[in-house]
Amino acid sequence: MLNPRLLQTPRAHALILLAPALIVYTVFAIWPMINVIVLSVQRWDGLSDARTFVGLANYEHIFLRDPVYWVAFRNTILWTVLSVIFPPVIGLLLALGLNERLFGRGALRVVYYLPVIIAPIAVATMWRWMYDPFFGLFNQLLTNAGLEWLIRDWLGDRTIALYSVFVAYTWQSVGFSMVLFLAGLQSVDRSLVEAAHIDGANRWRVFRHVTLPALKPVLTIVLVLSIINSLKAFDIIYGMTQGGPAQSTQMLALWAFTQAMQIFDFGRGGAISVTLLVITLLIVVPYLRWTQREEGRP
Amino acid sequence: MTAVTTTRPADEIVPAKRRDPLLIALWITLVVIALIWIAPFVFIFFTSLKSNAEVMSSSAFAPPASVHWPNFEGAWRNGDFGRTLINSTIISFVKVPLGLLISAMAAYALARIRLRWNKALVLFVLFGTMIPFQVMLAPLFTLVNGLGLIDTYVGIILPYLAFGVPYQVFILQGFFRAVPKELSEAALIDGASHITVFRRIFLPISLPVLAALLILDFVNTWNEFAMALVILQDSAMWTLPLGLMSFQGQFSSDYGQLNAAIVMTVLPAMIVYLIFQRYFVSGLTSGALKG
Repeated sequence: MLNPRLLQTPRAHALILLAPALIVYTVFAIWPMINVIVLSVQRWDGLSDARTFVGLANYEHIFLRDPVYWVAFRNTILWTVLSVIFPPVIGLLLALGLNERLFGRGALRVVYYLPVIIAPIAVATMWRWMYDPFFGLFNQLLTNAGLEWLIRDWLGDRTIALYSVFVAYTWQSVGFSMVLFLAGLQSVDRSLVEAAHIDGANRWRVFRHVTLPALKPVLTIVLVLSIINSLKAFDIIYGMTQGGPAQSTQMLALWAFTQAMQIFDFGRGGAISVTLLVITLLIVVPYLRWTQREEGRP
Repeated sequence: MTAVTTTRPADEIVPAKRRDPLLIALWITLVVIALIWIAPFVFIFFTSLKSNAEVMSSSAFAPPASVHWPNFEGAWRNGDFGRTLINSTIISFVKVPLGLLISAMAAYALARIRLRWNKALVLFVLFGTMIPFQVMLAPLFTLVNGLGLIDTYVGIILPYLAFGVPYQVFILQGFFRAVPKELSEAALIDGASHITVFRRIFLPISLPVLAALLILDFVNTWNEFAMALVILQDSAMWTLPLGLMSFQGQFSSDYGQLNAAIVMTVLPAMIVYLIFQRYFVSGLTSGALKG
């Protein structure tokens, strides 16, 4: 039996307090991350006992013989670039606008943020219906406006499907960047802005030389979060196109899922996951080191 | 008449603001964008109240001529919404408070008890906030399957807890760190244990942060799809998002019912948001901006 006095030390209490969270986090978040590397060097259908070590054969397959992998790779990069540009820029513009003392700005903020709290799968269902080629919102509006020549099968046309999905994603994610920028704008020194105005600086120059420098930390956070969130893009694509038509909206996260959970090739699915994980770490690790450095500063 | 005379002085105090054409243009732009932002909701809501014949004949933003309630009844029955609603409720109501409790406990220990590996542990946790679980769906399935927990509440709640812990611990330990030393030191000197100090002092003072995290986590848990898709394979165990996805596959041409199903899925989260919206912003920004 343990000495009961041992349980009264601060160290023991720390362990008791830490244990539940750390155990569940390590077992169900960290371990799968390590295990995916193990899976990626095996051939396995996910259920049977037949697991064989195959070395780098899965990587060789996805890199050299899987035509979909590179399509998914290209789409993921394109999607990430778009996600780093459009939602943050629109979010920043909205935040700058809402930072002025305007009538009803609280209500406007609520409206812009509303899509963020909706399940991505519901956003996918909503937009699928709006993109419906026959009775959907967009083609109806185009017909009413006499612009029939613009009518498209928005999700069925492989040249535009990815962009159609991205529009829905932008609608959902702009509010997230906006809220972070609005919080960041609170840290901009009002007296500095007013002083610049009195000195005759126009709005653009005030923004460029006073507001923007003060927003730098938030800007970094928004960009990093945008990249990470975009690499996670799964629900909205699964719900809208499932990667189609003709793999034109296929992404790495979804392709890894498809390989493992639908084709039952856990090895190849694992190898795809590992490549995505490496890309994520290339962004996360420098960012974490940067935040540690910033924290060290006075 | 009196109203006119009383508003005059106010007019003279802020003449520049009133006439600034740039601000008026900005306001109009923001309102127009807000209308575009809210248009999909209006379209979905109107469609959910129309019969199929009316969907095909009326224009998109025309309000329904007569409210067609059978859409909701049909969607509720065909989509088995009663069951998915119960599953989502059970999972969220167990996961969210439990996750917050274990996160707060760990955050207290990291922030207020001196340990040799404090800093490393904080980094270890912070790392988890950035790792996409979408990468790990297959190994998660393997793990939960190995434990025999596929199609169980426990099997989905454990991974949900694991992926909720990092963000919450990170925010709460930042908050606890900022609490003045005097508040806990006196109690510790009087012989109270760390567990008592945590329960009697730190939990009560952090209620606003906990409320913000609770609401944020509730919406995230309620909306989660990818992990549920992998772990809850039996339709009797499905959550609302899984139910909606399956409904979309089967009834995609019954527009009225499909839109009724969308309305029923998003309504709970929307109501929670509209009631508690000021907490959302604080819950979201407190962590991200101090990070």
